[in-house]
Amino acid sequence: MTGPESVFTTPSESSNSAGVTGPPALAIEGVSKRFGSGDDAVLAVDDVSLTVERGSIVGLLGPNGAGKTTLIKCALGIVLPDAGSVRVFGTDVSGSGRRAAYADVDAMLEGARNDYWRLTVRENLRYFATISGVDPNSVADRHDRLLERLDLADKADMAVRDLSRGMKGKVSLASVLAGGAELVFLDEPTLGLDVEGSRTLRRELRRLAVEEGLTVIVSSHDMTTIEAVCDRVVMMASGRIVADDTVTALLSAADRDAVRVTSADIDERLLSTLAQRFDLRAVETDGPRTIVEVGVVGDQLYELMDTLREAAVTIEDVHTVQPDLEDVFMSVTGVETDAIGGIDGRTAGHESMPTPVGDAGGQPS
Amino acid sequence: MSRDTADPGSIAREPGSVTGDSAGATDTPSGDHAGDPRPATYYHLARAVLYREFLIFVRYPANAVGGIVVALFFFGVLFYGGQLLAGQALADSLEGIITGYFLWTLSVGAYSSVSNDIGSEVQWGTLERHITTPFGFAPVALLKGVAKVVRTFLTSAIVLAFMLILTGTRLSLDPITVISIAGLAIVSVLGLGFAAGGITVLYKRIGNWLNLLQFGFIVLISAPVFELPWTRVLPLAHGSALLQRAMVDGVRLWEFGLAELALLVGVAIGYLFGGYLVFHYATRRARRLGVLGDY
Repeated sequence: MTGPESVFTTPSESSNSAGVTGPPALAIEGVSKRFGSGDDAVLAVDDVSLTVERGSIVGLLGPNGAGKTTLIKCALGIVLPDAGSVRVFGTDVSGSGRRAAYADVDAMLEGARNDYWRLTVRENLRYFATISGVDPNSVADRHDRLLERLDLADKADMAVRDLSRGMKGKVSLASVLAGGAELVFLDEPTLGLDVEGSRTLRRELRRLAVEEGLTVIVSSHDMTTIEAVCDRVVMMASGRIVADDTVTALLSAADRDAVRVTSADIDERLLSTLAQRFDLRAVETDGPRTIVEVGVVGDQLYELMDTLREAAVTIEDVHTVQPDLEDVFMSVTGVETDAIGGIDGRTAGHESMPTPVGDAGGQPS
Repeated sequence: MSRDTADPGSIAREPGSVTGDSAGATDTPSGDHAGDPRPATYYHLARAVLYREFLIFVRYPANAVGGIVVALFFFGVLFYGGQLLAGQALADSLEGIITGYFLWTLSVGAYSSVSNDIGSEVQWGTLERHITTPFGFAPVALLKGVAKVVRTFLTSAIVLAFMLILTGTRLSLDPITVISIAGLAIVSVLGLGFAAGGITVLYKRIGNWLNLLQFGFIVLISAPVFELPWTRVLPLAHGSALLQRAMVDGVRLWEFGLAELALLVGVAIGYLFGGYLVFHYATRRARRLGVLGDY
């Protein structure tokens, strides 16, 4: 079961450990939602089916307008779908059991405060725990631990309005977790946070989710958040699911390994040779230097280096370029993300290791 | 895991759904589930909603004080301006004017606080959390309305006291009678507040237009219920007439006819229910259109 640091534990976790399987935390079947009518109609969600097992952390990734937020709102019953059904722990949220299902669900929605800035942090937790159906006195000690986890303990009695933006984001998260919901939707949880605030929230979110055995669905167009927090990624574009797999599997399947070589000795003739013999993906110039990105598979790296040596190229810099979720997204949709709103975090997604190379023969070290 | 409500007054959670961790063990020395989350009842809900209202009232009194000052300013203009223009005629009807003004401040307070509160909740992104509560939105909204009415009674009582001191007027102020009659009278306004809140949810930034309805309350409060009996079914009208008799003529609650009180209760419940229905269908429409919470 949960460790000694647990704030809340969940029945789903105990069920799992006991080997008892219950209904999935979330089961979406054929949900569609169209906004507007006629020529102006927008199909925000197009026949989406998705099952999320208990205790998993799933990322919804896609550019702005992909349908992520609408799908989450459909799951919460805040938006009524035109077609399809949504079940939370086996209960249809559009049916008579909707209220009961809400006892196990909470959400932090995009761009919203989600709490009362005029109340203190602790007052917010107590209020929203009650609204979620939990006697706040019975979870007071757990709220204390939750606040400690999120580094909010010393701010517990401060009005939320007096906190920094990053702190407010944490309070939002804490108030969502205050009622012990088992299924938590977080829509763009790092939106508007600075780098440090975003990093802290990601770290704590992952830790809390794992330790508490929560089922978390994180929607974001920030792939760094998705990669850092989630086990599984569901990619959406134009209202449809275009990929659904673990982060590792998606990255492995991307087949986008490449090297970027920087040199002042790359001329048109060499570029032509590279284009003929390799997968030359990009050519950039930086003053007197030329930077080429070449896709390499297997022994092609050696062949590339041989080619460069034969051309008497002095390599100034060579990087390995590994795929990130944006590459995966582009490969499965064939759409440049910049063209449809963008997915943030490309730079952060590249974990390439700069490999300084001397000019002695142009050999990679 | 049980996710059904165990009884109408409580939201069931899985008994023992929280295990005793190291800190939790302190709460559960005997190994029972004393440290586990307990379901909140409607009592807890009422306490939470009322306490939140109280906190905002005492912590940020500027709004309340501002409301009192504005109400007294307008009454001062009405009183001194009326003295200049109408002289003795105003003095003859002063008790009625004060009673009507008291009910108007109550009505405006209840209406605007409910409709504005819903608008604010939409803006803050907290409305969704009240709609996705296992209690259902109706009891939460009703309790929030009650909290607003209690708060409004406090501020309007202060306004009333100032008015009486300022004019040297005496009114019959039997607390049970005044609170019961005025309370039921403004319940109908609460209904209008819910309806306005619902329209705000659907159409967003029209709060200022809806606030104009407050001036319509003056017409309702001064409706000629004796000449036009049908006006008694309008919000405030019948309640205003009864309140005039209670505060000006000294009629006590139990001295009113049963039919009169029944009509007062009926109008209150009718408009409250009607207003809630408008809110319910407006939010449902907003959910269908996908605009609930979008601001």
